[in-house]
Amino acid sequence: MRLRAVSVLVVLAALAAIVAGRLLRRLPPPPPAATAPAEPPAEALVSPRPPGRPGGQLVVALRAEPRTLNPLTAADNPSQTVIWRLMADLVHVDRRSQLPVPALARRVTTSDDGRRFRLELRRGVRFSDGHPLDAGDVVFSLRAYLDEEIAAPQRDLLIVGGRPPAVRRLDDYTVEVELAAPYAVGERLFDGFAVLPEHRLAAAYAEGRLASAWDLATAPEEVVGLGPFRLVRYLPGQRLELERNPHYWKVDAAGQRLPYLERLIFLFVPSEDAQVLRFQAGESQLIDGLSGANFAALEAGAAARGLRLLDLGPGLSYSFVVFNLNDVDPAALPAVARKQRWFRQLAFRRAVSLAIDRRALAEVVYHGRATPIATHVSPGNKLWHNAALKPPRRSLERARALLAEAGFAAGEDGRLRDAAGEPVAFSILTSAGNRERAQMAAMIQADLAPLGIAVRVVSLEFGTFLERLFDSFDYEAAILALGGGDVDPNSDVAVLSSSGAHHLWHLGQPAPATPWEAEIDRLMSAQMTARDPAVRRELYHRVQELVAENVPMIFLLSPNVLVGAHREVGNFAPAILHHPTLWNADELYRRAPAPAGGR
Amino acid sequence: MLRVVGRRLLHAAVLVLAVSAACFVLAELVPGDFLAPARLDPRASAESLEALRARYGLDRPLHQRYLSWLGSVLRGEMGHSLAYGVPVAPLVLGRAGNTLLLSVPATALAWLLALILGAWGARRPGGWGDRLSLGLGATLQAVPELVLALLALLVAARSGIFPLGGMASLSAGELGFWGRLVDVLRHLALPTLVLALALVPVLLRHVRAALSEALEQSFVHAARGHGVGELRLLLTYALPAAAPPLLALFGLSAGTLLSGSLVVEVVMSWPGLGPLLLDAVFARDLHVIVGATLLSGLLLVAGNLLADLLLYAVDPRLRRPGATP
Amino acid sequence: MSGRRPALAWPVAVLAFLHLIALGADVVAPYDPAEQTRELIWAPPTKLHLVDAAGRWHLRPFVYRWRPADGAPGRYVEDTSRIFPLRLWSGEAGTRRLLGVEPPARLHLLGTDGLGRDQLSRLVHGARTSLFAGLGAALLAVAAGLLLGTLAGYFGGWLDDLLMRGSELAMALPALYLLLAARAFLPLELGPAAAWGLIVVLLGLLGWPPAARLVRGVVLAARRRGYVGAARGFGASHVYLLRRHLLPPALAVGLTQLVLLVPQMILAEVTLSFLGLGVSEPTPSWGSMLVPLTSYPVLAAHGWAFLPALPLVLTVLSYHQLASAGRQRLRRTA
Repeated sequence: MRLRAVSVLVVLAALAAIVAGRLLRRLPPPPPAATAPAEPPAEALVSPRPPGRPGGQLVVALRAEPRTLNPLTAADNPSQTVIWRLMADLVHVDRRSQLPVPALARRVTTSDDGRRFRLELRRGVRFSDGHPLDAGDVVFSLRAYLDEEIAAPQRDLLIVGGRPPAVRRLDDYTVEVELAAPYAVGERLFDGFAVLPEHRLAAAYAEGRLASAWDLATAPEEVVGLGPFRLVRYLPGQRLELERNPHYWKVDAAGQRLPYLERLIFLFVPSEDAQVLRFQAGESQLIDGLSGANFAALEAGAAARGLRLLDLGPGLSYSFVVFNLNDVDPAALPAVARKQRWFRQLAFRRAVSLAIDRRALAEVVYHGRATPIATHVSPGNKLWHNAALKPPRRSLERARALLAEAGFAAGEDGRLRDAAGEPVAFSILTSAGNRERAQMAAMIQADLAPLGIAVRVVSLEFGTFLERLFDSFDYEAAILALGGGDVDPNSDVAVLSSSGAHHLWHLGQPAPATPWEAEIDRLMSAQMTARDPAVRRELYHRVQELVAENVPMIFLLSPNVLVGAHREVGNFAPAILHHPTLWNADELYRRAPAPAGGR
Repeated sequence: MLRVVGRRLLHAAVLVLAVSAACFVLAELVPGDFLAPARLDPRASAESLEALRARYGLDRPLHQRYLSWLGSVLRGEMGHSLAYGVPVAPLVLGRAGNTLLLSVPATALAWLLALILGAWGARRPGGWGDRLSLGLGATLQAVPELVLALLALLVAARSGIFPLGGMASLSAGELGFWGRLVDVLRHLALPTLVLALALVPVLLRHVRAALSEALEQSFVHAARGHGVGELRLLLTYALPAAAPPLLALFGLSAGTLLSGSLVVEVVMSWPGLGPLLLDAVFARDLHVIVGATLLSGLLLVAGNLLADLLLYAVDPRLRRPGATP
Repeated sequence: MSGRRPALAWPVAVLAFLHLIALGADVVAPYDPAEQTRELIWAPPTKLHLVDAAGRWHLRPFVYRWRPADGAPGRYVEDTSRIFPLRLWSGEAGTRRLLGVEPPARLHLLGTDGLGRDQLSRLVHGARTSLFAGLGAALLAVAAGLLLGTLAGYFGGWLDDLLMRGSELAMALPALYLLLAARAFLPLELGPAAAWGLIVVLLGLLGWPPAARLVRGVVLAARRRGYVGAARGFGASHVYLLRRHLLPPALAVGLTQLVLLVPQMILAEVTLSFLGLGVSEPTPSWGSMLVPLTSYPVLAAHGWAFLPALPLVLTVLSYHQLASAGRQRLRRTA
């Protein structure tokens, strides 16, 4: 009896302690009051958008927590979403026009041979802690990005001609970057490289701790940047709060210092449906990455709720089916090796491509909010898309004719057989987390059935899926999506060049396996150094033609970028490049007075 | 009694070693590692990935990684999260507290409901109360918890009474103690209800079965013959007789306090252990997986120990000297 | 209070009916469960009529075709221009179906899913996977639990320690991780039979520890009862004691656990399929038919998507009733 009483007491006491602990834990003390903002820098950048109204806050939901606040190591989407509100780059790709515009560097001059860039910094710019920016910070940042020990994911973008560039400080406000070889990308190169505060991070760098600096346990005032906002607090599992950076270097047309918003709050909401419901209920004001189904659900009654929902058209990501054309060991993977006899035939790949009803995929899976594509370059890529190439229309007759020419024939039982009499059947791998691609796989299965091709869908968890795709090659076909980085052709080098890390259909080729792959290699390296944009476009259009002709991947759709905002969000100007809704967070403002503290 | 507890503590230590070692071995067998998703990042080259792998120590042999993890356990860190770049112990413990805040009231509510409905059903088998609880239980069992949680969110959205998930309002920091208490309770209401509803059917069926079994026993009949009141009959005669399976069940439900609310936490954005563990499994963040697993494993041991101790407490015969626990 | 025997007729009838349907799925299902009608995505259940739009009565029930509503994507209205009488045993020889209507009309008594597949046909075919795999897995888990729990509770001592600590280990290991590791050792494609066996074995292995803990508690308590001690004093053998005094209460708990596990196993199959360990598209299962409900647009717009949960409720109710009857019988023999 006594024991029972004791154990009950223990449990109750533990419970009480937990509850009390949760409740009594106060939020971290608010940061020291923002230092009175000085006059905007003389060379402040003037925003082209109409002036807004200062004050208020915006709430945005994130699917996962950011993992780090360190621009050097951040690779995941939530981290980058937060970091790029805290940081700024030298040259910025305007998300709407997709063209580079000056940012912290007010001017970039390129040498005649295209190898040297002279970056002139804006004067009077200060970090969010009030410390002035100078050329030393830029040199420090580029050195950190180039450091092999740190292994920043962006590092490889700067390696041109096989060597890292030389970075030189010319004076307090001028930096010169010299590449080992001419590079057609030009000043666009500098987009996505945050300028870091040397005065805060030099010690960490010297001690070799830079890669692990600025994690989520870092004190908010330590995280210092040049972005429109700065960190206030992070509540694990709940939210992350940013406040206006009083030293920001942009002003609006009326001379008012940006950003307008007093606070920007990121809520962590792991379920997409919960995000949608919160947006609908007004608990968050911006949403991006909507699925077609959720977009349709939100559209009903959107006007009455004061929601603006926008379909920005196809984004940069492209979904496709890839056949396994890797060199596999026939002893280890006999079934795959046998089926590769079909996969290697162009006629077979074309027939499969022709049998797929891309419009139906877009209609059924994406509620019409996706665009059929012919190659990896979607029509969303304004600068580089080859509009002459049309996505194939479904034609079972043409598919059958192609198969017949290649020696395939349907048997009595309706099943397609190859010349040797083996029934044609293969499996398509999908990753389980992506409901849309799983649905597409099920539809492709039904689309290929009339040809007599039996498709099985194998759904795997993402990590397992990638392992088969990249390492073991134990798969027959797979459906996945890539893309979404930048519009520039160079962001697809890894997929297109025969030695690229994403040359998924045939990885690790010592030399180009086919003449057309060799030709693509040649064209890609030619466009990389072509200085004339027109020449470059011609070369890249030819690459797209080759891709469309040879069907290394069966390109399906590019999902449209679907976003939404509450009507009271001013200057809302979404774009298909990352981040779709927050890229101009410095210009966003609240039209109506924000309710104190939010809901 | 102390000897029992002491021996169980020893067993728990063995369990910690076994579970952690098993996790490390499993991690070798599960395809893909923490850096696998980075392979789809168009910016990173194979060489950079190798450099990262070396920095995270993923290229070291299994036993070395395990030993260095054990070392960090001794330092009280429980390893290092690759994803968050911080020690695991504070990361996991903070979330575990949030999970308990949700799962303890939910489990208590579920037991309360199960005991009331179960006693009602056992007293009048086949009566309308029995049928109702049976029907409701069967329906709840046929609806996945995920759907139940989403339904609750939908109700919250349509009614506007309850918050749409999360643990606190944005303005909670400015409220006083009572304000914060009310705020947390409002956020707790729906997830607690969903979790309790998901737990009830299992508890209810066992309570109902054990109680009706006990009520059939001869000494209960005898007591009733002696004019013992119905409530007293249930509480002092039937319940102790029905205790063995229920105590084991209680131990189990206490043991799943940390792991049972994963789905609800994810859907209702509750900042508990669930979303963290799920993320860690898919991201192959091994030390977080091991940390969270060990924590729920220890709770499981504690729950079972509690159940066994209660079993001895309830059944005096088991406490006789020489009785093997 | 006592003596009222749980009815046996209806649960047996319901279960027999469900299993017969599962076995005769090819005939009972109006359509091929994989057939996609892409003009009818999430179409609501086809309504059966006796009175047509003009107010005339018909002897034979009939249906109207669904056509997309104008200006409301995703919604359907009845096209009342032509009636399609319900037909029994229609179709061509060899592919006759119990119920049907003449094309181009379609009979979707439970509506269609997100790919335009007939929900009723998928439900009927899904019964094959779910009914048998769910019961199989639950049986395996409870059988293992009974055996190990009884051994632990009866013999106690180091065996008890070993088995119970083993059960704790089995429960403590991260199941998701375990399944991921298991997947790595299996071939890329799994045939339907292999997938079925895998579901039973994996879920059975994951389900035994709770059953074992419950059974052990009961056996441990029963062993201490006076009459067991007395019987032992009279020199009763282990087998006699186990069979006569300890197994009945253990079985009673096991039965309860068995019934509770069946729906859990049926729903858990979805997780396995998700990881590539269960049945794969387009083979339906009851659990996978409930998956669309886990997305807000479906849940909010298509209330009838809950209908596939009904047979599961019926199954669970029937099993509960059977278990009650089984426990009563055990009580009488004890």
